[in-house]
Amino acid sequence: MMKKIFRDFFILFGLFTLWASTSRVAMQYVVNRRDVNTWWGSYQCLHGDLISMSYLDFVPVFRNAPVNIPPTRDPIGPKNTALYLYGDSYSWTVKKTDFPSIADFYFFNRDLPMRYHLDSTKRNVLILEISERMLRDVFQDSRIMNNVKDTLPRSRNRYAALFELKSLFNPLINQNLQCNLFNYNFIMPMFETKAALNYYLFNRASGDVVISDDRQFLFLRTTVSRTSTASSYIPIPDEDIDRLADTINKVYDHLIAAGFDEVYLAAIPNCATIMQPAGYNGLIPRLYNNPKLRIATIDAYTTFKNTTDVLYYHGDTHWNMEGERIWTNIVSDQLARGAMRYKQTSADTTTIHKP
Amino acid sequence: MTFISLQFLVFFMVVTLWYFRLKNQKGRIWLLLIASCYFYMSFIPEYILILGGTIVVDYFAGIQIEKSEGPSRRMWLILSIIANAGTLAVFKYYNFFIDNIHTGAHFFGKPLSLPLLQMALPIGLSFHTFQAMSYTIEVYRKNQPAERNFVVYALYVMFYPQLVAGPIERPQNVLPQLKEFRPYNWDNVKEGLARMLWGFFKKAVIADRLAMIVERTYGHTIETSSLALFAGAVFYSFQIYCDFSGYSDIALGAARVMNIKLMENFKQPYLATGMADFWSRWHISLSSWFRDYLYIPMGGNRKGEWRRKFNVLVVFLLSGLWHGANWTFVIWGLLHGLLVIILTRKLPARTKGKLYKAASVVVTFVLVTFLWIFFRSENIHVACDYIRQIFAFRTGSNYIGLNRAEIAFAVLMIAVMMYREKYMPAFLISNNKVFYLFVAFMVIVCYYLGVFVENQFIYFQF
Repeated sequence: MMKKIFRDFFILFGLFTLWASTSRVAMQYVVNRRDVNTWWGSYQCLHGDLISMSYLDFVPVFRNAPVNIPPTRDPIGPKNTALYLYGDSYSWTVKKTDFPSIADFYFFNRDLPMRYHLDSTKRNVLILEISERMLRDVFQDSRIMNNVKDTLPRSRNRYAALFELKSLFNPLINQNLQCNLFNYNFIMPMFETKAALNYYLFNRASGDVVISDDRQFLFLRTTVSRTSTASSYIPIPDEDIDRLADTINKVYDHLIAAGFDEVYLAAIPNCATIMQPAGYNGLIPRLYNNPKLRIATIDAYTTFKNTTDVLYYHGDTHWNMEGERIWTNIVSDQLARGAMRYKQTSADTTTIHKP
Repeated sequence: MTFISLQFLVFFMVVTLWYFRLKNQKGRIWLLLIASCYFYMSFIPEYILILGGTIVVDYFAGIQIEKSEGPSRRMWLILSIIANAGTLAVFKYYNFFIDNIHTGAHFFGKPLSLPLLQMALPIGLSFHTFQAMSYTIEVYRKNQPAERNFVVYALYVMFYPQLVAGPIERPQNVLPQLKEFRPYNWDNVKEGLARMLWGFFKKAVIADRLAMIVERTYGHTIETSSLALFAGAVFYSFQIYCDFSGYSDIALGAARVMNIKLMENFKQPYLATGMADFWSRWHISLSSWFRDYLYIPMGGNRKGEWRRKFNVLVVFLLSGLWHGANWTFVIWGLLHGLLVIILTRKLPARTKGKLYKAASVVVTFVLVTFLWIFFRSENIHVACDYIRQIFAFRTGSNYIGLNRAEIAFAVLMIAVMMYREKYMPAFLISNNKVFYLFVAFMVIVCYYLGVFVENQFIYFQF
C-alpha cells in the first residue's frame, strides 16, 4: 500500500515539476514567492551570472566591483525620435534617460514577440540589439521578422497562459528544473564543494563556465569553445558571413517595409572578444564591413577594442555599467546624426534607408 | 532532451512509474508512444511531422507487402525504401550535394548559386530511418509479419530510449516485447538502473572530461606539440567510445528497467585484434544492419575474392556516408574498408600467441585512432594537417586543456572503465544492500566528478 502511495506521489510530483518548469507564468510565480532569506530560500548570487553558474563566489577576483557612472548627457539635436529597442539581456537595464535626444522609448525582449504601433508623426527608429554569441543563431534564417508585428498586444487569459501547449517544449526547462529542485540555500554547500574541488584541484570552473587565460574573467563556455556558433574563436568561412549578411538584409527590407524609418543592427561583442582577443574570428568587423550588408550598424566593437577601461564584469556574461554607458552614448550620437539627415530628407519627403 | 539532463531524469521517473502503474499492455503502449513523442519533440517539435510521415508510409507499406505477391510486393518495398532514403537524402545529403555542385561549377569557371536547405538536420534521422527500413525489408523477406496495430508500429520506430541514437533495432526483437504484457521485475529494474548509472559515468565523468582535451588539441593544432596532438587523438578514441557506448548503456538500461531487452551495441572494441574484429565490436547494430541488408544481398563473400573486396568497400563507403554528409566521413569509411580488406588474412596458428594478440590490439587501436582524426575533423584539410603535425615530431605547447592532476585522473578513469568492462561485464547486482551502496557511490561519483556541460552526445548528429 505504502509503495503505491509513494509511486503515485512521485508520478504527480514529477508531472507537476515538469509543468512548473516549462510554464513561464508558473516560473514567474515560483521565483516571486520565494523567501530568499530562509534556509530553504533560493540561492541569490549578486556577484554575476557566471559566478552563480559556477558557484565561484569564494574567489574575490571574479566578484563584480561597483563602477562609477558619469551623469547623463545633455540632449543633442531635435527630440522627435521614437526608439524601439528589440534586444536581449544586455539592454534590459537601458532606460529612456540614457538617450537624451529621444521622445519615446520602447524596449522589447527578443525572447518574446515584438508588438508595436508606430506613431507616424515621429521618426521611428528600430535597433536590433543582439549579443555576438546569439548573432549567428538568430540570423541563421529570417524567422525573427515574423516576431515583429505592427499590432497592439492581445490581452491574454492568465489561466490559459498557465497551460500553453507551446511552453511544454520550453528550451529553458533544465535551468528551470535546476532552480525548482536544487536552488536552495541548504543545498549550496554541495555545489560549492564541487566548485572548490574543480577550482583548487583541477584549476578550472564547473559547468558551462571557463576561466580566462589571465584568470581575471569568467567566460561562458560556448563563447570560447571551438565547436559552438556562439564562439569568438570558431573559424567562420567567408561564405557564412555572406549568408549572414543576406539574411540580415532580408530582415532589414521587411522591417523598412513595415514602416520603420531607420533600422540598425547593434551587435554587442562577447566578453572574450574584447578581454581575450587573440584568435578572435572577427565575426562583428567582418560582418559590418561586408559589402553585401545594407543595414546601418552601431559599432561598439571598435570603441570597446580601443579602450583601456574594463567594460565587462569579471564574473558575468554582460558588460558593466561603463560598457553600457559607452554603448548608449554611441547610439545617442548615431541617432543624433541620423536625426539631422531625417530632418532634411523628410522635408524632401524622401525616406532614407541607410543613414 | 539529452540523457544527461534533469529533464530526462524527471521524465524517466514519471514514465517508468506510470508504466508499472498500468495494468494492461494497451495503456502501456499508448503511454510509451506519447512519452516518446514528447521526448522527440523536446528537441525541435515540428520535426515530429517528418518522423510521422515516414511512419505512416512504412506502416501501410508493411501491410501491402504482406498482402501482395510478385512485382507489386517488390514495388511496395521500393516505395518504403524510397520514402526513408529520400527523407535522408533531402534532409541530410541535399546541402552536401549542392555544395559539391557549387565547388565543381566554380572549378570549371561557371559559378552556380543553387538554393540550400535552411534547416537543421532532424535529430537521429539516420537511426530511425534505418530501423524503419529493417522492418519493411524483414516483412518483405517474410521473417516478420506486418504489424496491424499502428500504435505498436509507431512505438517500434519511436521507442524513446533508442529513438535518437540507436541501437538500430530489428522488428523480430522489439515488436514481440512491446506487445507482450511484462510484469514488474525487481532484478530487471536493478540491472537497468545499474547500467544507466554506468552510462552516466562514462558520459559525464570520462567523455565530457576528455572533450575538453580534444577540443583544445583540435582547436590549437599549430602551437601544440606533436606528442600532445597524438595524445589528443588517443583521448578522442576514448571520448567517442565513452560518449556513444555511454548513451547505449543508458538506452539499454532504461529499456531494461521496463523489462524490455534491446540488442547490445558494443563489445569492448578497443580490445579488437584486427579491423574486421573491431567492426564486430563497434556499433554492432549498424554493422549488422549493413551486413544483413547490403553486404549479403550484394553477394557477400559468395562470388569470389574480388567481388568480396568490392562489396566490403561499398559497405564501408556507405557506412561512412551514413555518419554524415561530409567528405571526412566518406574518407573515414573508405579507409576502414581498405584496412579491413588488407588486414584480413588467415595467419598460421603459431603466430596466435599472447604477445601477438597484444601487439594486434595495440596496432588496431593505433590505426583506429588515426582514422578517428578524419571523423573528428571539420574537413579533410584539417584532418591531413593534424596527421601531418603529429608526424612532424616537433616541440611546442604540451598544454592539452587540463592540468596534470586532471589528466592523470582521466587516465585512471579510463583504466577503471576498461578493467570493469573486461572483467565485470554483468550489471545485475543480486544483493540489495550492495546494489544500494553501488547506486549511492555512483551518484556521488557522477555528481562530484562529472563534467556537466551542454555537450550533446556525438552520435545525436547522425
